[in-house]
Amino acid sequence: MELLRNIFVTPFVDMVAAPDFLMQVVWEGLVSGVLYALIALGFVLIFRSSRIFNFAQGIMVVFAALTLVGLHEMGIPAWIAVAGTLGVMFALAWTVERVVLRPLVGQPDIILFMATIGITLFLIGFGETIFGGENKQMITAELGIPTGDFVLEPFGGLLILQHIDVTAVVVAGLLVVGLVAFLNYTRMGRAVRALGDDHQAALSVGISLQTIWVLVWFIAGVIALVTGIAWGSRAGVSFALEIIAYKALPVLMLGGLESITGAIVGGLLIGVLEKLFEIYWGAPLLGGNTESWFAFVLALTVLLFRPQGLFGEKIIERV
Amino acid sequence: MHRFTTLAVAASLALGPATSVLAQEIYAPNLAYRTGPFASTGIPLMDGQADYMTLLNDRDGGIGGVTVDFEECETGYSTEKGVECYERTKSDAIVTQPWSTGITLQVLPQTNTDQIPILAPGYGFSPMQDGRVFQWAFNPPASYWEGHSMIAQAISDGDLDNLAGKKIAFLHLDHPFGKEPIPLWEAMAAEHGFELLPIPVGIPQMQNQSAQWLQIRRERPDFVVMQGWGAMNATALQEAAKTRYPMDQFVGIWWAGHDADLKLLGEEGTGYRSISWSIPQPDAPIMADLQQYVIGAGKSQAEDVNSVFYQRGLVISMILAEAIRTAQEIHGVAEIDGPMLRDGLANLNITDERLAELGMTGMVAPFATACNNHTGSAGAWMLRWDGEKFVQDSDLLQGDADLIAPLVEAAAAKYAEDNAPWPVDETCDPQS
Repeated sequence: MELLRNIFVTPFVDMVAAPDFLMQVVWEGLVSGVLYALIALGFVLIFRSSRIFNFAQGIMVVFAALTLVGLHEMGIPAWIAVAGTLGVMFALAWTVERVVLRPLVGQPDIILFMATIGITLFLIGFGETIFGGENKQMITAELGIPTGDFVLEPFGGLLILQHIDVTAVVVAGLLVVGLVAFLNYTRMGRAVRALGDDHQAALSVGISLQTIWVLVWFIAGVIALVTGIAWGSRAGVSFALEIIAYKALPVLMLGGLESITGAIVGGLLIGVLEKLFEIYWGAPLLGGNTESWFAFVLALTVLLFRPQGLFGEKIIERV
Repeated sequence: MHRFTTLAVAASLALGPATSVLAQEIYAPNLAYRTGPFASTGIPLMDGQADYMTLLNDRDGGIGGVTVDFEECETGYSTEKGVECYERTKSDAIVTQPWSTGITLQVLPQTNTDQIPILAPGYGFSPMQDGRVFQWAFNPPASYWEGHSMIAQAISDGDLDNLAGKKIAFLHLDHPFGKEPIPLWEAMAAEHGFELLPIPVGIPQMQNQSAQWLQIRRERPDFVVMQGWGAMNATALQEAAKTRYPMDQFVGIWWAGHDADLKLLGEEGTGYRSISWSIPQPDAPIMADLQQYVIGAGKSQAEDVNSVFYQRGLVISMILAEAIRTAQEIHGVAEIDGPMLRDGLANLNITDERLAELGMTGMVAPFATACNNHTGSAGAWMLRWDGEKFVQDSDLLQGDADLIAPLVEAAAAKYAEDNAPWPVDETCDPQS
C-alpha cells in the first residue's frame, strides 16, 4: 500500500506543494532535451540523405568544440576561431566523403556504419593528439554569450534560468528553423530530401551524390559545433561529452531515424520526462541514477507499439 | 653441425656478461589513463609519476644501479582494457599499478597466483589495509575510508556528535570507486545520528548533473561530500555554483581536488575544500632537480608542475621507488622481482629525515607500512580553494582508527570468505 502511495500519490503531491521546483525540473529537462535533439538532428540529416547511421556524430561534437577552444588558445579571436572551426568541419566533411564514403558507394549499410565507427576512433585519437585530454573551458564570454542568470519567484518560490541555457534554447530553435527552411525552400535542401526519398531517382535527375554528402556532413558538423558550444558552456569541453551524445540514440528510437520533427519532439520528451522521473520517482524509490536507462526503456516501450518510432516512416517492402 | 654448436656456445658465453649488464632493468608498468572521459584527472598524475622515474634514471642511474622501465599501458580508465593491460604486462612486471578501483578489484584475486603486488596509492579497496588477507595489495599512504573519516572530522569541527540531526549528501560516481566509502558513512551515520543521502552520478551523466543538483536543492543537505573522478568533478563544481550551494559546505576526497577543475570556476569556487594526502611544495629541492634533469631537458609532458595532481604523481612514484630500494636492501640484490617488491612495500618507512634526503619535505606526511598494515595511515590535510589556487586549510588530520579498524577487519574477512579458498598470512601478527 505504501509503495502504491509512493508511486501514484506522493510525487504529484510534491509537485503541487512546490510548483516552483517543478518548473525548475521541467526547465532543466527542456534544456537537456534541446541539446539531445540537436545531436539527434545531426544523425537524422545524414541518415536521410545517405541511409548511413553516423556513429561519429558524438565525437564530432567534441572535435568541433575542441577545435574552437584550441584555435582560440592559439591567439585567434573568438569569432574568427568560429569561422576557422567551420572551415575545419568542412574539410572533415570533404575528407570523409572523398576518403571513406566514395569508395564504399553501393556497399551494404552495415559496412558504411562500420566505416563511421572507424571515423570515430580516428577522431578520438587525432583529437587527443592535437588537443590533449584535459577538460577545457569553453570561450563563452569571448563569444559574447551572457553568463549570469534570471531569478524569478513564481508562486513565491525560486526559479533560476541561466543565461547560457536560455541562449542555448534560442540558438537551437533558430538553427532548427533555419534547417527546416533550408531543406524546404532551397534547391540544395530539396536535393537532400530527394536523395533521402529515393537515391536512384535523385541520381537519374542529375543530383550529385558526392556534393550532397559533403553538404550534409558539413551541416552535421555545424550542428555539432553549436551543440559543443552549448554543452561546453555548461560543463567544460572534454571527451566525456561524447558519452552524452549517445543519449541521442533513444531520441532517434523514439522519434524515428528519418524525421527532423521526431528528433526535436523526441529530444524534448526524453529530456523532460527523464528529469521528472528521476526527481519524483527514481531518486526516492530506486536510489537515483535512473537517467542512465530511463530514456532507453521509454524508447523501447514506444517501439513495441510503433516500430518506426513516433514520427518515422512505415516502410512496406513487397517480396 | 658440431662446429656450428661450438660457435653458438662460444658466442653465447661471449655475449652472456654483456646481456646480463643490458638486463639491469626493472619493469614497473603503469596502467595509465591519458585518454577518454577521465583523462583530465589522469594526465597530470601520470606526468608526475613518469617524471619522477625519469629523474631517478637520468640523475642517479636508476635505483640501486638498476634503471626502471616505467612503461605506460593505456586503459582509458576502462576496467576491461585495464585487465588486458595487466595480462599483457604481468610476465615481466614487478608491480601492477591499476589506477582504478574497478581494475584493482578485477585483478586482485589473480595477483595471489601471479605473485605481483598491486600498488594503489590512496585508492583501490580500503580493506586492503589488512595485509594478512590482502597479501599482495597495498594502498599507502591513506585509504578512502581514512580520507572520509577525516572529512567527517573537518565538517564536524572535530566532534562527530556535532553532526547529529544533520543531513549529509554523498555525491558519488556510480562505479565501484564511487561506492567504496558508503559502508563507512553508513557506520558513522548510525553511530552519530545524522542522515546520509547517497546521490549516484552515472558515467553517462558525468557532464549532465542537473538532476542530482536539483535533488540537492530540494533536500537542502548541510554538507555535500563528493567522491568524484574525471569530468564528474568539474561538472559538480559548476552545478554547485549554478544552484548557489554554499561552497564552504562542499567537500571532496583527494581526486576531487584538481586545480584545473577549480580554475574553470575561479572566484566562484572560493571556499570549496578537498582532503589531500599530498601538498604541492614548489620550492622543494626535488623541483629544482626535476627542472634540471627532466623538464629543462625537454623530457616532460607536464603543463603545471606546481599543481596538486602533478606533485601527487611525484609522491606516488617516490613510494614505489622507496619500496624498490627497501626490497633491494632486504634481499641484497639489485634486480628484484615481484615477491621481493612485496617485502619492500610491506616494510616502507618514510620518515621526515628520508623525505628531507629526497628533497620532498612536506609533500606527504611520514608513514610506515607493516605486514598487517598495507596502508600506512599517513594522514592528510584539508585544502581550500582561495579563488586562484589550493591552500592548506588544516593541520595534519588522521582517520578514526577505532572506527575503521573493525570495519576493515570485517570487510577483509568477508572478502576472504566470499572468495574461499583465500590464502591468509597467519605468520603476520595482527597486533604487531
